[in-house]
Amino acid sequence: MIRALLADDEVLARQKLRQLLKNVSDVEIVGECSTASETIELVQLTDPQLLFLDIRMSDMNGFDVLERLSADGDRPLPHVIFVTANDRYAVRAFEIHAIDYLLKPFTPERLQMAVERVREQLVKGEPAQIASPKQQSGEQYTTRMVFKSRGRILFLSVDDIRWIEAQENYVRICTGKDSHLLRETIGSLESRLDPNSFLRVHRSAIVNLHYVKEVKNESDGDATVVLKSGEQVPMSRSYRAKIQKSLKLH
Amino acid sequence: MRTGRDNLPAFMNPAIFISSTVLVGLLFAFQEWISLRHMGYHMAALIFFESWGFQFLVWGTLCWVLWRFLGDWIESATVKAVLTIFLPLSIGMSLAQQMLYVFIFHNLPLNHAEMTYWQRLSVYVYAELLDNILIFWCAFALFRGIGYYRRFREQEQAKAGLEIQLANAQLAALRMQLNPHFLFNAMNSISSLMRSDVDAADTMLEQLSCLLRLSLERGESQLVSLREEFEFVELYLGMQGQRYAGRVRQSVYCDPELYDALVPSMLLQPIVENAYVHGIAKIESDSTLAIEMRRDGNRLRICVTNSGIGLKPRSNARSGVGLRNIESRLKLHYGTDATFEIAELDQRNVKVSIVLPLQYLTEEEASLTRLGAR
Repeated sequence: MIRALLADDEVLARQKLRQLLKNVSDVEIVGECSTASETIELVQLTDPQLLFLDIRMSDMNGFDVLERLSADGDRPLPHVIFVTANDRYAVRAFEIHAIDYLLKPFTPERLQMAVERVREQLVKGEPAQIASPKQQSGEQYTTRMVFKSRGRILFLSVDDIRWIEAQENYVRICTGKDSHLLRETIGSLESRLDPNSFLRVHRSAIVNLHYVKEVKNESDGDATVVLKSGEQVPMSRSYRAKIQKSLKLH
Repeated sequence: MRTGRDNLPAFMNPAIFISSTVLVGLLFAFQEWISLRHMGYHMAALIFFESWGFQFLVWGTLCWVLWRFLGDWIESATVKAVLTIFLPLSIGMSLAQQMLYVFIFHNLPLNHAEMTYWQRLSVYVYAELLDNILIFWCAFALFRGIGYYRRFREQEQAKAGLEIQLANAQLAALRMQLNPHFLFNAMNSISSLMRSDVDAADTMLEQLSCLLRLSLERGESQLVSLREEFEFVELYLGMQGQRYAGRVRQSVYCDPELYDALVPSMLLQPIVENAYVHGIAKIESDSTLAIEMRRDGNRLRICVTNSGIGLKPRSNARSGVGLRNIESRLKLHYGTDATFEIAELDQRNVKVSIVLPLQYLTEEEASLTRLGAR
């Protein structure tokens, strides 16, 4: 059971979360709060694993709440999912390692996605961390990205990326059922992704090796990377030796 | 108060003005010296250049000061003011100039050392007063001319400014954030779905919120990148797709090199809405909607093709407010450089084509608008 606390100053907003979470069997709501100070108190009292946190509340904002809690010291912090109508704070939320950022109104599926991320974190047994924006984690490679796509904020874990295609000044990030267009060069993205998982197979394509099924040789000496989903990504000759080496490793 | 200083001709700079009058004086001196030599008189050149140069230096300075302090008055003086003020002033100034001239050059006229100051002055007044008055009126005419020129330029600029303002106001009025008609229909659909299918209502409400968010984010900007524009349309299509529950095959293609091309904001949505309302909604069976954005030389071609009932005979296809609005906006943005056409491909298919001059988002603008992956 995931012990969750709801913090939102609007009663209907809390009601929506409560009703949707009823259908999520492994989440148990241990409390609801309508102000920031109540939230701090209840977190200390109930020690939840997950906190649904509104950003704008009457007395303090959600970030202040987290700052107070992390200043408090010894006890483990809850994982945080921000729930807000305002998309302005997404980057800040991302930087302090919030699990997700739900824009109101959100769909039940979107909520499911967010809770699934919390499950993953709990399975990994990683403690929640609230970092100030400046003390970035020392990891060498990006593990997740924040961007806006079609009016929605996404905290995308790089493990969900199947492949990336360069399109002029943009890259298209394909995640199975969806694809997102970012204004970014494939080279700069490649340098931030872990080369043990992500492999450049073409001037304009990167694949995630975890989703690769096979490499098919074409008659003209070129090859195609076939993903488990059936999608085909062209591969150029110069990258071929590299991918075969990497595939053997997996 | 002088206004519109920007419109002053460069020669009214005091240094340029006075040195050019001195130059004119020196030319006169040279001319007189040459003609006297031709007549057989040989005299030192210096005195000619000195006296002519000095005379025109004084005139240049006087005229510039006159213009500086009475310029506005000269430019607007009535006939009465010219006769009662400037005529006496011209005589007075000419006399004063000559008095100064005679006082400085006490050896002129040459070889008449015995003459008193007043005798010498009378010689010069007799010989040159009219010339001097003429110089005054030449300057007066010049200053009047500058006034006309300046007013003409100001009017031109005001006219141009007004035109820009008018075009902006028209564009602002034409740029719909979101067609209210669409907004209320969507809310009505949600209200209806609330009773039959809560989940579908929920999804639709979320989609509508995304559309509104994007639309608000754009604020007042008239031009957006094509990528932003079709992202918006994709959302809109997603919503319509749900309303028409799988009856419509939608496809959107955009050439990647056009993602950063600039188009008027909200260009596509009214066209797609039109395709749904007047085409797709009218037929029961499978229908299609295709949007294609391609490059055509240095132009951008956008085509929206939809199946439906074709164009209604005898009804003017362009009568839709949304489409007419797009036409006016294209005209305001691009003049005759953009074209808008609507045509019946066959009995059932209608195609809207827009061709625009190709302009790109600058790198700075692009970095301003992105949230950025990190």
